[in-house]
Amino acid sequence: MTQLSLRNPLTIRIAAFVALVVLVAVIFHATAPNFLSMTNITAIFRHMSASGVAALGLTFVIVVSRFDLSFPGIASFGAMTMGMLIVLGYPLWLAIFLAVAAGTVLGLINGVAIGYFNLPDIVTTIAVGSVALGLSFLYSGGMTLSDNFMMSGILDVNDAKILGISGPVFIMVMLYLAAGIVLHASRFGRGLYATGENAVSAHYSGIRVKALMAFAFVMCGALACWAAVMLSAQSGRSDVTAGNGFLMPAYASVFLGAALFGRPSAPATFAGALLISIILNGCTLLAIPYYYSDAIISAILITAIAIFDPRIVAALRRVFAGRGTPRHSKEA
Amino acid sequence: MTNPVLRMRGIQKRFGPVKALDGVDFTLAQGEIHALLGTNGAGKSTLVKIISGLYQKDDGTIEIAGQEVEIASPADAMAKGIAAVQQHPELIDDLTGVENIFFGHEGANPGLFRRIRTNDMRKRAQDLLKRFPIDIDLDRPVAEMGAVDREIVAVLQALTGDHIRVLILDEPTSTLTEREKASLYQLMRALKEGGISIIYITHRLEEVFEIADRLTVFRGGRNVVSMSSTEARDGATSLVEHLLGEAPGDLYPALADTPPGEVLLDVQHLTAQGAFRDITLQARRGEILGVYGLVGSGLDELSKALFGTFDVDSGRVTFKGREGLFASPTEALKAGIFLVPGDRRTEGLAMSDDVVFNTVLANLGRASRPGGLMRWARPRRATAELAERLALQPPILSKRAREFSGGNQQKIVIAKGLYAQADLYIFVEPTVGVDIGAKAKLYAVMRELAAEAAVIVMSSDGDEVHGLADRLIGLYRGAVVYDAPNGPGARDRLLASGMMGKLAA
Repeated sequence: MTQLSLRNPLTIRIAAFVALVVLVAVIFHATAPNFLSMTNITAIFRHMSASGVAALGLTFVIVVSRFDLSFPGIASFGAMTMGMLIVLGYPLWLAIFLAVAAGTVLGLINGVAIGYFNLPDIVTTIAVGSVALGLSFLYSGGMTLSDNFMMSGILDVNDAKILGISGPVFIMVMLYLAAGIVLHASRFGRGLYATGENAVSAHYSGIRVKALMAFAFVMCGALACWAAVMLSAQSGRSDVTAGNGFLMPAYASVFLGAALFGRPSAPATFAGALLISIILNGCTLLAIPYYYSDAIISAILITAIAIFDPRIVAALRRVFAGRGTPRHSKEA
Repeated sequence: MTNPVLRMRGIQKRFGPVKALDGVDFTLAQGEIHALLGTNGAGKSTLVKIISGLYQKDDGTIEIAGQEVEIASPADAMAKGIAAVQQHPELIDDLTGVENIFFGHEGANPGLFRRIRTNDMRKRAQDLLKRFPIDIDLDRPVAEMGAVDREIVAVLQALTGDHIRVLILDEPTSTLTEREKASLYQLMRALKEGGISIIYITHRLEEVFEIADRLTVFRGGRNVVSMSSTEARDGATSLVEHLLGEAPGDLYPALADTPPGEVLLDVQHLTAQGAFRDITLQARRGEILGVYGLVGSGLDELSKALFGTFDVDSGRVTFKGREGLFASPTEALKAGIFLVPGDRRTEGLAMSDDVVFNTVLANLGRASRPGGLMRWARPRRATAELAERLALQPPILSKRAREFSGGNQQKIVIAKGLYAQADLYIFVEPTVGVDIGAKAKLYAVMRELAAEAAVIVMSSDGDEVHGLADRLIGLYRGAVVYDAPNGPGARDRLLASGMMGKLAA
């Protein structure tokens, strides 16, 4: 928000993030020498692309101070919608378009229920997510869909290189850039942040609080389905379990990022998602079983939130100031 | 004459440089209802807080039944027989009256689950009602009770200690209807019969005549006069004089010296059931319209109705020639109305965001390009100019709103209003929690604003309204009871109208 300078807290936070990445990289590099190879670094970015897009969608909801637990279910429905259309021989663009449209509609249901009718966010999104998951079983009775995938061209999305960057990573970066502009450089984004900070004062400032809240849920639903499309492109099939893997990484990315940078934002979520992918990748190289991954992410998340929470920082400062000169104990 | 229940002598209390109480003497006799009167900041609440142990006196003595005591805390006050009922008593909605009364000391059976002895509790409640006969169904959940029944539950809760001799009631009638007031008075008389002395804070004189035995008037941190309410009734005008005192001096800018411009806002017979009725007023460019009203006068609701966040039942509103009320603040702002809300923390500011963010929020169109992308330098420059014009302290635009003092937070809200470039500014309680230096600055800014726009100041501080406004309106229980240009003698009439609903002689 303000110019870069060493006294700017944001500069310090960015420096802290870079230091953290370097520290993690050095540790992994010491134990797994191929960690810093180009192939592995590319793998890290590819790994983060799908769940990173889901996390980006969630960022909008967290910015307006709400929670969304429906997006894994919505993602599964999006994956199965696209899969079914591919199986039935529809063109790929239509399949992808309708998958994202399905996410948009389900997100809109969330948004209208929560923004306009003031229903509780957690319960509403659990319900909508369950409905979406249920719907995803309708197409095939829960069977994995992969017929026609080879010929449809969906795999090319995953294998393509655009400007020397692999397809999924390019898509993710583009989506982050677009979302970053909306959140941080448009009046729309101002409204979203104002709504999340204090919905009453935002309302009194003429911000269309209800519409913006609905919009945040729409973004979450639509981007969850985008993430599901990318995941299907990676795996070459559509599963009803497609969305299962998104919940924990998405929340961890948003909150880890927010903890690092002081508030939820597109760059913060990107940083969070990257850090998580780095750590998970390192664990894979060290042959730590995959089923520990959620536990590892959760542990990192809680530690990060605790370390960067201003109240805890203030408390620590008080403890240390108490030993030194008491002059520093009072912070403006 | 026996020892009074409570006697206080020479009580002093300062808050920093402000002398809240300056040598107050106060005597409360056994079984009397003693009203405390005074304008905002006169010292009556401070005195009551000292009695109930919330504040500690700096100097002076307190005697209870002839014994000199110190009151260290609210619990200590309770132990010494003094109970206070808050202005908005905190009751638990889902519990019944009985359960609320004995909340925290229900009395439980021994054993693993320690079941609460409901019947025992009910019997104790009946005993309480036997001591203080009052008509109330205590088995209903508090959520279903009206304002007066809630008040009664709160009073009974305060009286569960059998030894309570002094009860403090802080403006209990501010939200009650006439009928409800009658049942509250019934309770107060029952308490009096039971030998309990009541300290009763109110803004309304006619209530004092109705229920109180004695009254003490406070002004500027001193007790000005004490008398029996019969004495007061016989010489009512002198009482008003005691209450009002002298108007404070040069805190306020000069009134408008040019005649006001065109009517921007025309309100005709505006009525909202239960909030206000038949409100007629006009706001003109170049003029400050002052509306004075106490809690429960409908002031807050009226401001919100004009800003599109409170529904009305009937009446006609015309703003800049366009008829009809606004459906939302978005529309009101677009048309050119800006509200500086009464509660800046919850309604006025995004507390975790910086000055620039808050300043441009009500006019994002001006702060962005036609495509909707935010501008960078211009809003910053405009904010810096506004901060300088308003003498924001400290003038650091990247600081978060919560890091500023109350007065400077209010300046940020006003900067937001200025950035919104409205034609009508409505200020609600603009200087609550603002120190005197910042007050003068805010008043000067409001006067400056009035040169270009119409300004309405709504406040429960009568001196503020009188000091600022070119035209005065007194609001009492939702109705306009006074409407006149500011001028000699207007202050007393305005204050009397707002406090009593009628004009002083």
